[in-house]
Amino acid sequence: MKFKNWIYTAFIGAAVSFTSIQTSEAQVSQDRYFRALGTPHDPKVQVSWNRYHTNLALEEIMRDMAKKHPNLVKLESIGKSYQGNDIWVLTVTDFNHGKADEKPAMWIDGNIHSNEIQGTEFTLYTAWYLAEMYGDLEFITELLKDKTFYIAPTINPDAHDYFIKEANTQNSPRSGMIVLDNDGDGLAGEDPFDDLNGDGHITFMIRKSPTGRFVKDQMDPRKLIMVAADEQGEYEMLGYEGIDRDGDGQVNEDGIGYYDPNRDWGWNWQPDYVQRGAWKYPFAVPENRAVMEFVMKHPNIAGAQSYHNYGGMILRGPGAEEDLGTYNATDIRIYDAIAKKGEEFMPGYKYLVVYKDLYSVFGGQLDWFYGGRGIFTYSNELMTSYLYFHENAGRNNQDEQMKVDRYLTFGDAFVNWEEYDHPQYGRIEIGGFKKNFGRLHPGFLMEQDAHRNSAFTILHGYHTPKLSVSDVKETDLGGGLKEVVATIYNERLIPTHSSQDLKYKIARPDYVSISGAKVVAGFVVEDADFKKYKEQKVGPEKIHVDNIPGMGVVKVRWIVSGGGNYTINVDSEKGGKATWKK
Amino acid sequence: MKKMYLSLVVGVGMLFSFQSVGLAQSDYPTLNQMTQRLQGVAGNGTATLKSLTKTEGGKDVWVLKIGKGDMDNKPGIAVVGGSEGFHVLSVELALQFAEKLVNENDAALDRNTFYIFPNMSPDAYEQYHASLKYERRGNAAKVDHDRDGRLSEDGYVDLNNDGLITMMRVESPMGDYMPAEDDERVMVKANASKGQKGSYMVYPESRDMDKDGKFGEDLEEGIAFNRNQTYKFPIFTPLAGDFAVSQAESRALLDYLFEQWNIFAFVTFSPANNLSAPLKYNAGDAKKRIITSMLEKDVAINSMVSEMYNSTVSQKAFNQNNQGTDGDFFQWAYFHFGRLSFSTPGWWVPEVKGEDGKSSSSPEVNFLAWASENSVDAFVPWTQVNHPDLPNQTVEVGGIKPFVMYNPPFSEVAAIAQEHTDFILKLAEVSPKLEFHNLQTEKLGNGLTRITADLFNNSQLPTHSEMGEKSRWLRKVRVDINRETKDIMSGDKIKLIDKLGAYEKTTLSWIVKGSGNVEIKAGAAHTGIATLNVKL
Ligand SMILES: [Zn+2]
Repeated sequence: MKFKNWIYTAFIGAAVSFTSIQTSEAQVSQDRYFRALGTPHDPKVQVSWNRYHTNLALEEIMRDMAKKHPNLVKLESIGKSYQGNDIWVLTVTDFNHGKADEKPAMWIDGNIHSNEIQGTEFTLYTAWYLAEMYGDLEFITELLKDKTFYIAPTINPDAHDYFIKEANTQNSPRSGMIVLDNDGDGLAGEDPFDDLNGDGHITFMIRKSPTGRFVKDQMDPRKLIMVAADEQGEYEMLGYEGIDRDGDGQVNEDGIGYYDPNRDWGWNWQPDYVQRGAWKYPFAVPENRAVMEFVMKHPNIAGAQSYHNYGGMILRGPGAEEDLGTYNATDIRIYDAIAKKGEEFMPGYKYLVVYKDLYSVFGGQLDWFYGGRGIFTYSNELMTSYLYFHENAGRNNQDEQMKVDRYLTFGDAFVNWEEYDHPQYGRIEIGGFKKNFGRLHPGFLMEQDAHRNSAFTILHGYHTPKLSVSDVKETDLGGGLKEVVATIYNERLIPTHSSQDLKYKIARPDYVSISGAKVVAGFVVEDADFKKYKEQKVGPEKIHVDNIPGMGVVKVRWIVSGGGNYTINVDSEKGGKATWKK
Repeated sequence: MKKMYLSLVVGVGMLFSFQSVGLAQSDYPTLNQMTQRLQGVAGNGTATLKSLTKTEGGKDVWVLKIGKGDMDNKPGIAVVGGSEGFHVLSVELALQFAEKLVNENDAALDRNTFYIFPNMSPDAYEQYHASLKYERRGNAAKVDHDRDGRLSEDGYVDLNNDGLITMMRVESPMGDYMPAEDDERVMVKANASKGQKGSYMVYPESRDMDKDGKFGEDLEEGIAFNRNQTYKFPIFTPLAGDFAVSQAESRALLDYLFEQWNIFAFVTFSPANNLSAPLKYNAGDAKKRIITSMLEKDVAINSMVSEMYNSTVSQKAFNQNNQGTDGDFFQWAYFHFGRLSFSTPGWWVPEVKGEDGKSSSSPEVNFLAWASENSVDAFVPWTQVNHPDLPNQTVEVGGIKPFVMYNPPFSEVAAIAQEHTDFILKLAEVSPKLEFHNLQTEKLGNGLTRITADLFNNSQLPTHSEMGEKSRWLRKVRVDINRETKDIMSGDKIKLIDKLGAYEKTTLSWIVKGSGNVEIKAGAAHTGIATLNVKL
């Protein structure tokens, strides 16, 4: 009895304290915070945007978002990774307004390359920002009524955590966690890096040597400087931390991978001898297969964005010169319009083309999204040293990096040189920049860059098609016949079918149908002024339209008999739906 | 009753099943008969039967692995049937090879391992035995081949109700076909430059349900195995699909092959032929970043193997100009997998010369001449039908029956299978073969010994094709000496060699410390491993 009483009292107490907390939370916020423009100032889900999250923390945040925004955010696993981790996708849209899978959609993913983990934070920020700003900003509210955002913070969860938790360089691993034979000796992964000093970072090995070409800078002994050709140096570089584990005379020659998950996609795929990093065949990597299957099941995806690092770039295809013909002028005009606008509000980021400004890529993700699915797709290379001092000192500029670590990060970026007895090299020194410096944003630069990149995907998503029946004209033809001409307008920049899509008929045609009227004949209007029509003999009540261009119109015409009210429906895979009723 | 028969086959084993099928069979096997014979082969202790996956149509995709001892380190040959579903001969040839191998050629397993994939297109293969027969390529996947948003709306239709899909011809002054001069049953394209004028439109026996003026452009079959591979994948074309290796059977086969490092050559029974004559070398295409010509040294190997084929297989080449089609399997095995790859249809229509000593320029006319000489019932006479989509037009259905141009009468198969078995076994005999020769041990004093030996590839074939050298999917020749690094004064503990040419040797040398036995191993899975025991 006593015990039950206690529970009851506790329950009431909890209920009381719950309501009091609720009122006081709003009060707490009002008493303490003043809105900084452009940021959700009192979010339902609290996230620190100045650190990186493990898979565990990510899942907690995503579940919290789905719980706190049940009508805006849904979380689903689209498949399992090689090691059995879930590949999560957040669907962000106004679920009370239209069906999520029938609205024009953006696909956004991060972290296909394991070490490029800020993409995970940036995609997460996008989902968070959209959900928290819904109802607060008219633009975002409208956007989530019209569009759907499918957001996958990491499409490589295994190696996402492996990069964070295990010893790595700034560049490793690039692969997911499948281990292959890299040196052709019949063994897979027999000689990976070794974290000799046990600090969780793979840094460099140097050794004193009479033939070495480097000396330590007297002003800053962390810095190695190359001596002039006619001067004697003191140190030689031995490469990344490691030992020769298999006795073949090589160090670090066979670790995780190697395969490149971004050479595994089904457009212009080529094998390893052409494209290093290609594996067996397109979508052999299980994580990519899960993404591909999701995209195939969601033909409403009209725009896509993937995140990499490094370099401050907004990239579009083609990945290879051999594929130049795929990207034609009509589509490039749209790519240019969105990306050039992005350049304006993303200082340090340049709009570039992969094959000519970067390097050749066969079987890349962005080429499959566009070439294989007709989806307008960018890939951003996040982080650029420009963000440190607003100077273009160039990548891995040692002087600038040392300046960053001295004046902004106060020694957090560097492992100081320390002596070590190496089983093969003898006495060496180990040290250098940590794995979370260089390619990754330091905490104080993350939120700003996350916001600017999110703004870019929001612009892109905004410009996926928006269809409406803008005009319906009726003319009496006599003899009980009427002509009905409907004008379908696309209010945004992106067409319902890219020209790549039209070339290969990737997405089905758009359907403009009339119901409630007896249709005698149906046509696509080719020229309204000069009465050029293309008749559709089979099923004229549902006219097949090849494309509804961006900022353009399409007209369809029916000859119908009898009176009465009718409805006109537009149904486009990438353009969504629109209805007009008489 | 059927159940009892099955259990008998499994119980009594291979010998019984082989004989019973051999005696009973008068036609190409059904899928059930094929499976029973595979189980029969698997009754032999050297063979293991495994289902790689099930197709969209729920059919097993089988592999037989046949070998002895250290099977994964013996040079392997993969034999592939059913690349094309309508090529039913290819399945029978693969099956008979497996049967002859385990029954009559046990010795071939001492040095080689064999992988037999008897039927890569079981969904399509079934059409041969179905009530409606046609030459089918695609599996059971649902595919909108003409990509118009309507699924398979224009498949074949048996307009004359004879259980066969043949052709239809429509009389039309706009037609571009005319009867052939040397056999007016055959429709050939009119050649305007020779002043010829067509009088017929010719289509497959089908309808135009979507009224787009095209007949049979959206078939009810799915994706063809032999159009679904990555080399020159014909994306977005009928029977190929939206991306390469999209189908379960393609994926399962490749996943399996990528783990079988020992396969050095493929023999595929498919319509392509690079055995009667080798692939041609084109310097321009061989030097591009994406290689589309067989490389020069590999053409030489292909020539050598072609000679072997032509001296083993009696049929003389005729109209054998298919040397590969986009997305096919046999080219994949070479261009993307780096293995020696050979394909043959196994049989083709022989040349029939007329009184003037010449054969017809039309393969169909030549075929019908051969068919009449050999009493093969090969033609459905043109007969008028009422075509629902072509009212008031003269439409006739007829033409060469399905299958008969690509598959010989079953009575001819035994001899063809014997010759092709002989060929594959000859190819196995020339597989790369590593041997140690000229071992010398010299005492250098103070417990040091110099070991010198030649590693020799005793084969007409190199260890790596030129294409294989470029591929990471062929292992290097690895030499290991089982001494600790500290006891090796000179020489490598592990040494990787890129390639040994035909009859090429390389000299290896070590200085080691200590006494006792030293074991040196050299090889790769696809060359076999040579072992040298040295007493210090
Ligand atoms: Zn990347």
